[in-house]
Amino acid sequence: MPTLLELQYAMRSSLVQDDDEAASALLAAGVALDRLNIYRNTIVTGLTKSLRLSFPAVERLVGAEFFDGAVRHFIAAYPPRAAYLDQYGGEFSDFLRDFPPATSLVYLADVARLEWAVNGALHAPDAEPLDLAALKAVDCDDQARVSFVAHPSVRLLRADYPVDDIWRAVLACDDQALAGFDMDGGPVHLLVERRATGVEVVPLDAPAWHFLVDLCAGRPLQSALDREVELDASAALAQHLAAGRFTAFRLAAPEPEPTSPEAVV
Amino acid sequence: MASEKRVHARPIPAKAGIGLRFQHHQAVLDVRPDVAWMEVHTENYMGGGTPLRYLEATRRDVPISLHGVGLSLGSADGLDPAHLERVRQVAERIEPALMSEHIAWSVVGGTYLADLLPLPMTEEALAVVCRHVDQMQTYLKRRVLVENPSTYLAFRHSTIPEWEFIAAVADCTGCGILCDVNNIYVSARNHGWDASAYLAALPPAVIGEIHLAGHAVRPLPDGSILRIDDHASRVCEDVWALYREALARFGPIPTLIEWDNDIPPLDVLLGEAARADTLIAETRSEIAHADAA
Repeated sequence: MPTLLELQYAMRSSLVQDDDEAASALLAAGVALDRLNIYRNTIVTGLTKSLRLSFPAVERLVGAEFFDGAVRHFIAAYPPRAAYLDQYGGEFSDFLRDFPPATSLVYLADVARLEWAVNGALHAPDAEPLDLAALKAVDCDDQARVSFVAHPSVRLLRADYPVDDIWRAVLACDDQALAGFDMDGGPVHLLVERRATGVEVVPLDAPAWHFLVDLCAGRPLQSALDREVELDASAALAQHLAAGRFTAFRLAAPEPEPTSPEAVV
Repeated sequence: MASEKRVHARPIPAKAGIGLRFQHHQAVLDVRPDVAWMEVHTENYMGGGTPLRYLEATRRDVPISLHGVGLSLGSADGLDPAHLERVRQVAERIEPALMSEHIAWSVVGGTYLADLLPLPMTEEALAVVCRHVDQMQTYLKRRVLVENPSTYLAFRHSTIPEWEFIAAVADCTGCGILCDVNNIYVSARNHGWDASAYLAALPPAVIGEIHLAGHAVRPLPDGSILRIDDHASRVCEDVWALYREALARFGPIPTLIEWDNDIPPLDVLLGEAARADTLIAETRSEIAHADAA
């Protein structure tokens, strides 16, 4: 008699990898093997629906039929790891980059990366912005050592193509705009965040983007300022604070070791 | 704050409720429908932002039940502690009047198979489910309900009838039972069981909730018919009839109308709930008459 664990691995092979060999030996007499298709279909339909919600622009760019086909391959290669489908699809942009039928659309993977950032901002936990009064109370001598914690909805993304414009035009079904993009205009630097009115995708210039990347990575204020000499950094910082892009701050140790920038996607 | 909390902690009354899905969030706040309670899928409220705000606004008017679909109580390799913690955090924020999960599994070896998969009805599976219901109740510090599944296949080595399996889980863990009447009907027809006998085998004292939903009828190439629990249509007449039997046996019980695919306008759900309410009221008056006689 198979153990429960053996049965569950056999079912996984059947439902995710389409390998019915082990599962077929487990079914009761008279139960046709195609009954497994009912479950397989529910899984694929549910996950496809979830990915369609997260990647609507990718779907429109490639068409529903192509999208469904790509998703089937994706599900087999990267099945979800937890019953929290808001977080399912993080590998989809990498998958598309390496998916041979999709490589002719050079910006497709980057559009997917932007949509994943939008999805992440949409579902990020709620968090209160940092207490400005407490920040103002920091001693002048210590201000250089202030290091921020980014709001969980903040995502920072750099792409080789104008994916923000493409994304907007695709979702608005604006064919005219879609035909007129300058694909050689150089990289775009984007801030994605959830505001009270919804998720916003904001293009920044490169110095402003790098400054925010540094701050979100916990780099101490003075160190971040020193790296962006061309930027009106105090105005930028005031904007970030007013927009609630940080939830806390601390005073970094004198020898700073910035953490890896989690917000960069 | 304390008085607000008391309002939220109102128990779920023995009346009809509706499953609340994203499509109806705004309509529910606009219309404030006359429905006694609502149920949501716990997994849809694990992030921040808009969904939670809608649910927090809705729960000011009606008590909420949190119905989990992803804890995988039947996983042989254990509950995912991260998922259990996410469930706890939603409960902390929403303060539900009821919490429930399924007699099913969906996770093995770190892969989430996004469906409620059937368990073999064995002593081993029963022990696994009981251990996990204990773990869930301990972690959440509350009693939960477990729901009977709808199934399309059976395993060769099953030895325990499903109704006995579920009654045993309740008996071993002290949990309650969420009796899904549509699931009983679907599974009974698919496996050739007697749906009335299934109902009769469940212990009335621990039935905490009833589910009603529509299902699909699919003819198979071999000429047989498979019923699929797709929650995409009205409750069928046979299931309403079985629901009357359930009420007669269990008494008035909070009853939920579930609808998850091809979701209709809110009024359709409310119409189904009104029909359930009528049957609950009839049950109540029949009991009153019987007591008076």
